[in-house]
Amino acid sequence: MLTATMSQIPPQPPTGPLPADDLAKLIERVATLRDREALAKLFDIFAPKLKAIMLRHGANSAMAEDLAQETLLVVWRKAHLYSAQRGAVSTWIFTIARNLRIDHLRRQSNRPYEDLEGVEIASDAPGGDRIVEENQIVDRVTLAIRTLSKEQQDVVRLSFIEDIPHSEIATRVGIPLGTVKSRLRLAYERLRPMLEDLQ
Amino acid sequence: MITQHPDISTLMAFSAGTLDEPYALVISTHVAMCEACQEGVRRTDRIGGAALSGEAGVAMSDGARLRLLAALDADDAIVVKSPVEVSEMPVPLRRYLPYGLSSIRWRANGPGVATRDLPVSPGVKSRLMLLKVAAGRRVPEHSHGGQELTLILQGAYKDRFGIFATGDIADHDEDVEHQPIAEPGEDCICLVAVDAKLNFRSRLIRLLQPLFGM
Ligand SMILES: [Zn+2]
Repeated sequence: MLTATMSQIPPQPPTGPLPADDLAKLIERVATLRDREALAKLFDIFAPKLKAIMLRHGANSAMAEDLAQETLLVVWRKAHLYSAQRGAVSTWIFTIARNLRIDHLRRQSNRPYEDLEGVEIASDAPGGDRIVEENQIVDRVTLAIRTLSKEQQDVVRLSFIEDIPHSEIATRVGIPLGTVKSRLRLAYERLRPMLEDLQ
Repeated sequence: MITQHPDISTLMAFSAGTLDEPYALVISTHVAMCEACQEGVRRTDRIGGAALSGEAGVAMSDGARLRLLAALDADDAIVVKSPVEVSEMPVPLRRYLPYGLSSIRWRANGPGVATRDLPVSPGVKSRLMLLKVAAGRRVPEHSHGGQELTLILQGAYKDRFGIFATGDIADHDEDVEHQPIAEPGEDCICLVAVDAKLNFRSRLIRLLQPLFGM
């Protein structure tokens, strides 16, 4: 009697920004105290989101869960290497999941990304305050994405969430590749004050 | 001093992770050399973090949390940061070119022009190659079937878009035609990602194209 959905498990309602302070504290507890409960909380927050995006990339349910699990396992292993330089907690987790996805789903090397992590970036104050600030920046970006035009939101989503190359977005949406790129540039311009923290 | 950077939409694709390996490598090599783009990628990565953060979740199956905690017990491998060796080669490129630029076995591709393909993962459709243009020589005018990313590793060249010197990147859309000329003094060596065969304009060169494998 119910119509079939893409996944057997119904999606949960969208969540608002995650609490910036809490996330910073959780990651710090994992890094310094090897606190398993803190990791479990990060799991509760991020695993369902990671599973959702992996499903969109074409993974089946078991593989999507595995990749979500594996992402959190990398968080556990690398927490001591995390700093505000790696971005907000959600940004760092996004990049870990992206690299795993390139390895597993695209079957390509993620080394260009991994090797880049070794490049030392001029660092400002490394402490927890800076992480909270990064989290707040990303919260503002999350909200700002929702104020983009529908067209701009679509290309941002298709690219960042659905993992679709620009040329394929052009085919899917039925617009020239140049238009995909100009919509992304416009989206960037709109998000720029938040992305560059100019507020 | 790096003056030419990738388009912001290319940095967005890099952060999103949708670039084919050759393009991702050209961008990461440039980023390793370019502080402005290190900051640029930190910004475009924020879009990824925001997109993940705003995503509605799909419930994990029962027991997934316990399985993760069990996995932590089985695995207490802590990742140790490996020291980066001092080398002239930017870090991401070293894996693809472990013996440096001087050890390359070039393949002549016409007067003053030589190329060398670099291996990428199986199944990758686009191509990663090195291109060497002798000092003062010109590359025949060509256009591209798809996006072309060119990173200058040594020397410089000039075309209608300007002068591109070491560390600079040329980010060309499909259908762009240009005719780079290497600056005098030093051979110009570039790392190039292309997703289709270069399309030379001159009929003679088009005839030679299959011979040269370009
Ligand atoms: Zn740059």
